[in-house]
Amino acid sequence: MASETKIDPKIMDEIIKFNKNVIDAPKLVPAPDEITLEVTPHDVVQKIDKTRLLHYKPLTDKQHKTPLLIAYALINRYHILDLQPQKSWVRNLLQQGFDVYMLDWGAPTAMDKYLDFDDYINGYLDGAVEYIKNESSSEKISLQGYCTGATLATTYTTLHPESIKNYIATAPVIDGWRDTTVISNLAKNMDVEKMVEIIGNMPPEFMYYCFSVLKPFEQGIEKYVNFFKNIDNQKFVDNFLRVEKWLSDTPPIPGELFKQWIKDIYQENLLIQNKMYVNSNHVDLKKIDMPIFTQVAVGDHLVSPECSMPLHYAVGSEDKTLRMYPTGHVGMIASSLSQKKVLPELGQWLLERS
Amino acid sequence: MKPQPTEDTIEYYKHLSLFWTDLIHLMSSKPQALGSTGPMRAFAANAKKVSTELIEINQNLIGFNEYLTEYYKQLAETWKEAQKKVNLKAPEVPQDVEQLDAFKRIWIDIFDNDFTELFDSKKFGENYGKLVSKELDLTRHWNNITNIILQSVNLPSKEEIDEMYKEMHSLKKRVMKLELEMKKKKTGEQNGQ
Repeated sequence: MASETKIDPKIMDEIIKFNKNVIDAPKLVPAPDEITLEVTPHDVVQKIDKTRLLHYKPLTDKQHKTPLLIAYALINRYHILDLQPQKSWVRNLLQQGFDVYMLDWGAPTAMDKYLDFDDYINGYLDGAVEYIKNESSSEKISLQGYCTGATLATTYTTLHPESIKNYIATAPVIDGWRDTTVISNLAKNMDVEKMVEIIGNMPPEFMYYCFSVLKPFEQGIEKYVNFFKNIDNQKFVDNFLRVEKWLSDTPPIPGELFKQWIKDIYQENLLIQNKMYVNSNHVDLKKIDMPIFTQVAVGDHLVSPECSMPLHYAVGSEDKTLRMYPTGHVGMIASSLSQKKVLPELGQWLLERS
Repeated sequence: MKPQPTEDTIEYYKHLSLFWTDLIHLMSSKPQALGSTGPMRAFAANAKKVSTELIEINQNLIGFNEYLTEYYKQLAETWKEAQKKVNLKAPEVPQDVEQLDAFKRIWIDIFDNDFTELFDSKKFGENYGKLVSKELDLTRHWNNITNIILQSVNLPSKEEIDEMYKEMHSLKKRVMKLELEMKKKKTGEQNGQ
């Protein structure tokens, strides 16, 4: 006797509703290209090559004395720190009375393939720090680095400690051998010399491949199903499209910089061992002797906590704070948790030292 | 070591191709020189280089296919194992919305876990590294062929453009450092006053 399969009519309703949402989507939501990612007003105060230094307009009558410079990562663009007003890292700091600058690394082209750590640290980052010192008449500023931006900012801070009053390392890439992520597995097995010699800059397509192996089914299927299911929810859709637009815009990384980063951090792990050099200058983490605040996300699948935390123990500072948050790599900087927990804690720490 | 039959065959065709390319080039070079000028002449002189690159591309393709096959094999095996786990954990066909949601969650969690385990593994990392390396070898040959064509029409090769980039980078670096030093000196003088 043939068995009878009973299908809940609600399943059919769900399928019909989902199909309707897919058809209605273009009428209800804007195309990613129609969305502007920069939300907080700012001036571009300095340009060096393709980099831009952004100075955000204050949102309070009075501001704390020491300005803050944010060095964003080399992967994707800085917009994630200011994606939308309710979840903006930058806006929150401005509302807490800080004077905020952002260094936009720009989009390198083929002719930038020889740019290296020295150019980024002693050229672009130092150029930004010097500009801010002059403009604010401060001898020292606060510096925050995020992800690979924190690798650069950490290196900068060891080489120019005299310019930095407070250092904030957010999900820093420091100890490559302890990194347990999929990205580090690919990086450790990469013939980076050959890649740079033949291709030049690290192409965005390679980064998109790396993104595709991170939770491929959750990120590749479920995420988009949820998008169409929630097509009527304007807040959800707006946030989704902004994050998607940000994710799909990663610039190339200059070949020489990429080569040193992969070799020195992931393959030979020189930074944490105090064996790294930038243009013959020794990078010694013990030279970081100013107050340091290290922020780590427990669920970070791009930079694992084991990769970031060693910085806290390796620096020479006596005033050091390590905070771990129950979120992921992006959740730490652009979520409700970051607004309610991460930023107030950072603001309080910075206020006491600014 | 006794060469493998495949290597023998490749070597034979490589020799055969180079022999005829060389010979045809020798036989035709003088009439060609007489009958053609400029770019076409330069391209004919470089035909042997293009031929050699094409033969080596074929050799690289063998290695590339080997690692690509292994890559898809690893993905397929992981998929198969993950699907078995899903079948064990959720053997019944979902019949209502709640069951369907639960089934979807189980499927995604198991697949994400198993694939992350694969991408984290040494065997995947090593094979992927070799696959990319072979792909780069193929790109190198393509670059070489493009360079030959560029040179035949009197345009700069990739190496020559790279040399220019390097020179520009070095000059910009010097200028940037000088500018920074000047700024620091100026600020120091102002503060001193």
